[in-house]
Amino acid sequence: MTDSLKILIVEDEALLAMELESLVEDAGHSVVGWATSLAEARAMIDSTRADIAFVDIHLTDGPTGIDVAEYIDGRKNAMVVFMTANPKRIPDHFAGAIGVIAKPYTTNGVTSALRYLQEGVRRPPPTSERPAGFTLSPAFETVWAPGR
Amino acid sequence: MDTKRTREPADAWHMTDDLHAEQGKGDPFAAAIRATRMSMIITDPRRQDNPIVFANDAFLRMTGYERHEVLGRNCRFLQGPKTEKAAVAQIRAAIADETDLSVDILNYRKDGSSFWNALYISPVSNDKGEVQFFFASQLDVSDRKRSEHRITADKERFEKAVKERTAELEAALEAQTTLLHEVDHRVKNNLQMISSLILMQSRTVSDENLKRSLGTMLERIEALSTVHRRLYQSKDVSKFDVSDFARDLISDLLTASGRSEINPTLELEPIVVPAEKATPVALMVNELVTNALKHAFKERPDGTKSGSIGIKMSQPDGHLNIEVSDDGVGMAGANGDASFGMRLIKSLARQLRADIEWRDAGPGTRVVISMPNGPQHKGNLS
Repeated sequence: MTDSLKILIVEDEALLAMELESLVEDAGHSVVGWATSLAEARAMIDSTRADIAFVDIHLTDGPTGIDVAEYIDGRKNAMVVFMTANPKRIPDHFAGAIGVIAKPYTTNGVTSALRYLQEGVRRPPPTSERPAGFTLSPAFETVWAPGR
Repeated sequence: MDTKRTREPADAWHMTDDLHAEQGKGDPFAAAIRATRMSMIITDPRRQDNPIVFANDAFLRMTGYERHEVLGRNCRFLQGPKTEKAAVAQIRAAIADETDLSVDILNYRKDGSSFWNALYISPVSNDKGEVQFFFASQLDVSDRKRSEHRITADKERFEKAVKERTAELEAALEAQTTLLHEVDHRVKNNLQMISSLILMQSRTVSDENLKRSLGTMLERIEALSTVHRRLYQSKDVSKFDVSDFARDLISDLLTASGRSEINPTLELEPIVVPAEKATPVALMVNELVTNALKHAFKERPDGTKSGSIGIKMSQPDGHLNIEVSDDGVGMAGANGDASFGMRLIKSLARQLRADIEWRDAGPGTRVVISMPNGPQHKGNLS
């Protein structure tokens, strides 16, 4: 079994962040932090080591999720998966993110996505099938799912 | 008259003035010009300042002058304060170039009132090609000009009004679109919140039956969420692909639960239903599939279940057929009619005017749903 993932949650809704944390832990991974704004997210990215950041587009200080993704992309110390009810706001280049889990997601969808991401991060490309609720960015599509 | 003093042999029309002048008896063409209702004058460019040498009665009536007041004068006395300089320049150029000209010009009568004059000027040459006279006719076109001005003004007014209205509508549309996105965003977040609340509650419950109940409720809400997500991700929010939904549902249920021992067989034609049918159809499919996964297969000693589940969707002539089958324990093992799931399926079937039938497939169960769909909806949607 490959190593579990360290997850950073960037989400302004406390309820969703709490439940997502439980889901992540149920799947055998750990949550290293929860940020609700761009500033908090930056501070946590600098002070913790996360494998994946689940980033909502809309945070307490506005639609700054894209900025969070760009910051992480610049530091190269984690990978981003957007988690948003507004996938149309994601720029075409995805700001370097792996992909997006569109809200409302299902618990099974998140669990499958975590397994898929674990394979992709630890031993790319992932071997299991891409979960239905998960969309890859064009850049990762060519690397993780060529010819599919 | 001074015309007699300066008369020259080539001045043919002066001859007619002399001979039977007022009656024009000697020359029927001259008589016609004198008497016509069309205002006409003749000027002589060979004389100083190109003066009027003939004016018919119609010209005098139109301008309000007496004949002796106009003869020997250049036409410019008809101009006034509002006469356009450009029109005057055109006339001057035509005289200088000895060419034809047709121009609308604002002229003034003797009493100071103005009128629009549709002026036509034409040079008259002798055999050698030398210009002898200029012939000019005038027509009072004030009415036409007024309506032209009115039409132009109306057109400008309408164009402005249309522009304003278009801008208003565009702004309203943009506000509506923003509002729709906002509402869509909130609905999605709220659906996610409802799921989270149920999950959190479920984590604190120790009673297994209650936990199962909450789990089933979560599955139903997630089915609704998936319908909403798929509808608003697609380009057309009025149509819903049931086959895509079924494919997602089965992969969602099977891949996450780790039930790789359960083998799905999917035969799914692309089937589109109108948005208002999306939720009941999706809920029904969800109910049948989750039911089969929960109850059809007996647990092995190691706690896993195995078997196969099939979903078949087709639409022969205006009907949508859905078939969910399993090779499990059969109908004896299925929960009874009294269960909420069964009541839900039957109620949804009634709402959709669907026929639903449970068949013993030995082994397993086959549920067949048939409901009206197809071309009649395409008409309604477009």
